[in-house]
Amino acid sequence: MDIVVVTEGENFGSRIVQMMESVIHQGHGSLALVFLIGIIFGGIIQYTRVDKFEKIAGFAMLKDTIVPKMLFLTVGLTGIGLYFLIEAGGAHYHIKPIIWQGLIIGGTLFGISMAILGKCPGTGPVSIAEGRIDVLIGAIGGLFGGLVFTIYYNDFFKPLMGESLGKFKLPDFFVGNEHLVVLIFGIVITAVAILIPKVELYDEADLAKLPDDARPDKK
Amino acid sequence: MTNRLPWWVGGILMSGLLLLTFSIFGADRPIGASTYVPYFAGVVFDLDSEKYTYLKEIKNAGSWEGVMLLGVLVGGFITSVFITKSFRISLIPSAWKKYKNSSVLSRILWSFFSGFIMIIGARLAGGCTSGHFMSGMSQLAISSMIFGTVVMISLLLTGKYFYNTKGKE
Repeated sequence: MDIVVVTEGENFGSRIVQMMESVIHQGHGSLALVFLIGIIFGGIIQYTRVDKFEKIAGFAMLKDTIVPKMLFLTVGLTGIGLYFLIEAGGAHYHIKPIIWQGLIIGGTLFGISMAILGKCPGTGPVSIAEGRIDVLIGAIGGLFGGLVFTIYYNDFFKPLMGESLGKFKLPDFFVGNEHLVVLIFGIVITAVAILIPKVELYDEADLAKLPDDARPDKK
Repeated sequence: MTNRLPWWVGGILMSGLLLLTFSIFGADRPIGASTYVPYFAGVVFDLDSEKYTYLKEIKNAGSWEGVMLLGVLVGGFITSVFITKSFRISLIPSAWKKYKNSSVLSRILWSFFSGFIMIIGARLAGGCTSGHFMSGMSQLAISSMIFGTVVMISLLLTGKYFYNTKGKE
């Protein structure tokens, strides 16, 4: 396949066009499909309301468990489905490397920021799309974070991440019993999703939609 | 509750979307949602993509997620306006008022700061809730399990000590 790189013009518009060109030529779905995946992703998150501050920061305060319930269920079901899809030749592995320092420092920063902002990079854009200005400010902060990371990548961040120990997955350690490991993992994670007690932190907008006898604040 | 899908329907739908995206009939790649941020930083701040190693490394993933992000904005907007009717312009979440403070300035400064370290953190770890937690753990990747554990601990500790929840419902 011929790779066409648009090099003329470095203004905002032409770089957006370059972004689309890059998607068209990298062979990971058509431009329309990638856009559609985004629409469905945003739609699911919005329709389940898991992008709400009360859901994510609420989980950090252990006052709401909808986010972990949905996340664990997604992982449990996909874990089983994806394994057999890959076995059947219908998909491939895309495992991220074990980089201890990067995972621990990065994960710590990520957890702190998720609790404070009450969003993550996938749910944030949904909140911006529904009019949350504070999250837009957070996204601007994120752009500066991306800028700093890009500029100091070679000198600071790449050494900070440490060496990769390789791309391992759990079944690699149970050769001969891969199917069993995947099934147990999927079932256990799904069970965790179901067994996490359902707790919800409502805000005024949620409460206003409930009938009076179902409002926890009026009981 | 009205106008909201239950968590288990959301989990099943999200699982279906992940499988579609992973499959060779879909995009033959995982869903990720943090690489687009440095990619857009390159676009917005007009960085020379030939000069910065990182921009070269993320060219494909960043542009893919960038297009997906445009879809996310459209999907989130349409759903919030027409289905859940939850679109509204707001500056402070109500739980922030209840458990932190009522200062717009405080919320804005903390938002900016947390957005900043969120992207540094995600890029150091090589993924976020989507790329590591959902896509990575679904492949039973060890790196993603480490990330998930660290994030859970850090998230819950921050929730406990950053907010003032004592004596409040």
